[in-house]
Amino acid sequence: MGAVLHVAGLWKSYEAQEALRGVDLDVARGEVVALLGPNGAGKTTLVSIVAGLRKADSGLVEVDGIDALARSREVRRHIGIAPQETGIYPVVSVRQNLALFGELNGLGRRDVRRRVEEVAEALDITDLLNRQAGKLSGGQKRRVHTAIAFMHRPRLLLLDEATTGADVETRKHILELVQRLAEDGSAVLYSTHYLAEVSSLPATVAILDKGRVIARGKTQELVSAHATTAVDLTFHGEVPDLRHHGASRLGSHQVRLITPDPATALLDVLADLPSGSLSSIDIVRPDLEAVYLALTGRRYDEVDAAGVRKAQGDGADVAAR
Amino acid sequence: MSPRASWAIMRHEFRVLLSDPSTVIFVVLMPLLMVAIMKELFATALRDQGYASANGSEFAVPAMAVAFSAFSVGYAGFTFFRDHGWGTWDRLRATSASSVDIMLGKVVPNVAVTVLQLVLLFALGGPLFGLEVTGSWFAIVLLIVVLALALSAFGMLVTSVTSTMNQLNAVGSVGGMALALLGGAWVPVETMPGWAQAIAPGIPTYWAMEGFSDIILEGGGMASILTPVAVLVGFGVLFTGLAAWRFRFEDTKVYFG
Repeated sequence: MGAVLHVAGLWKSYEAQEALRGVDLDVARGEVVALLGPNGAGKTTLVSIVAGLRKADSGLVEVDGIDALARSREVRRHIGIAPQETGIYPVVSVRQNLALFGELNGLGRRDVRRRVEEVAEALDITDLLNRQAGKLSGGQKRRVHTAIAFMHRPRLLLLDEATTGADVETRKHILELVQRLAEDGSAVLYSTHYLAEVSSLPATVAILDKGRVIARGKTQELVSAHATTAVDLTFHGEVPDLRHHGASRLGSHQVRLITPDPATALLDVLADLPSGSLSSIDIVRPDLEAVYLALTGRRYDEVDAAGVRKAQGDGADVAAR
Repeated sequence: MSPRASWAIMRHEFRVLLSDPSTVIFVVLMPLLMVAIMKELFATALRDQGYASANGSEFAVPAMAVAFSAFSVGYAGFTFFRDHGWGTWDRLRATSASSVDIMLGKVVPNVAVTVLQLVLLFALGGPLFGLEVTGSWFAIVLLIVVLALALSAFGMLVTSVTSTMNQLNAVGSVGGMALALLGGAWVPVETMPGWAQAIAPGIPTYWAMEGFSDIILEGGGMASILTPVAVLVGFGVLFTGLAAWRFRFEDTKVYFG
């Protein structure tokens, strides 16, 4: 399958800060790629450049073989994007919102009417079509926002944190529609910072960290290649010194043992522990979080939380500029 | 450029505008109220200038038309800031509509509302205030159109150099007031201080007032407003050129604050 999206050596800086540092990424026809990374990793910058909303410093972006950096307008016709922030016209109806963007992406009047009904049905917003968009609930607005990106059946769908703030029902509808579009042959780049969400998608994974794709493949392949089982030991009081067992501290009362053989490792460690000091034992199966830890040496949730704090403190995420 | 995309955005802008018609009604009604209040004041000034039968509407109607159309400077920019606030600006840019399509789609409705506002004011000037146009009505409409175009172009220039809604409000309202005042729409230019009279010809509204006065009081036609029309077109081209040079589609504009 040829790549609908081909990104090579993409660099982008905001003043002195490098947001993208040589990103390479291909998304094939019919493929859903979950672009995974903590806040501030560069996901929004990458999506924005592909969509022609930001200029790259250097590198190559091709959509269906067309140079997207040089012929942005031509390429935009083939792209559907749902940006991170909800973007709808609140003072007109849902139908008028959908119709406007369908028309601006080249659909004829008859096609607009048909697609409005199809997309609305898929996202369960048919009953809302004649309602003023500003009067909908947050989840309903999110569905309308996402529906706009599907209107013209884009060859490449870019969803930037599509389910942020969405309720369970909305998330379900969005993920189903993503799957259906991919089955119809479109390529989907789905950026998210929720690790858990990736398992709900029929997706391969690209992990973006500090402006670089550090891992790419199917979840199971990445886990097998980069992560092993871990054992978390929680103590009542101070953590005894278990460094000679290869344990690393997770907190003041917790250590983690990375091991392919938890049973043997546990037997060794338990023999060294004072009786009654252990509070609990958790076997941690290898997952994407473990992959991230193995590749970066940093815990995903801490990096992500720091990204959120930075974004809140600065008033703007670097990647969202 | 795609006329279809421009037309789609224009229709959409009208829909947005008509979702809250109070603004349009307000900008049409307020000048009428101001004419009613100021007519007598201007009657005295006109009689002193030798127009013995003047009732004041001959100055008040064009003056209020020009003064209120100057506020369209802010309205032109508002549609852009509003899209940033609603998160729809990047969505528009991500469609296959070109930059020109988006600009036309947003500016033309603003020009149309300004034209409608001014045409209504002149049309109601007769029945409500006894305005008698001694010259050509076609010339009045032409002047209205070029004035609306020049002011909207100025609005685009202001939009291109402002980054927050507060800045736009300040420049749009105070700037609009200054444009009207220095152009002679609040008081006749002849009554202003010497320095203000000297700079008045550098203001687009001055030429609009010159043209309207010529048509209404002197019986002027198309030929007599060639200079005001040419100057206003020149201003429009200048402002459009500067706005096009300075406007950055990727710039972030802050809707509130």
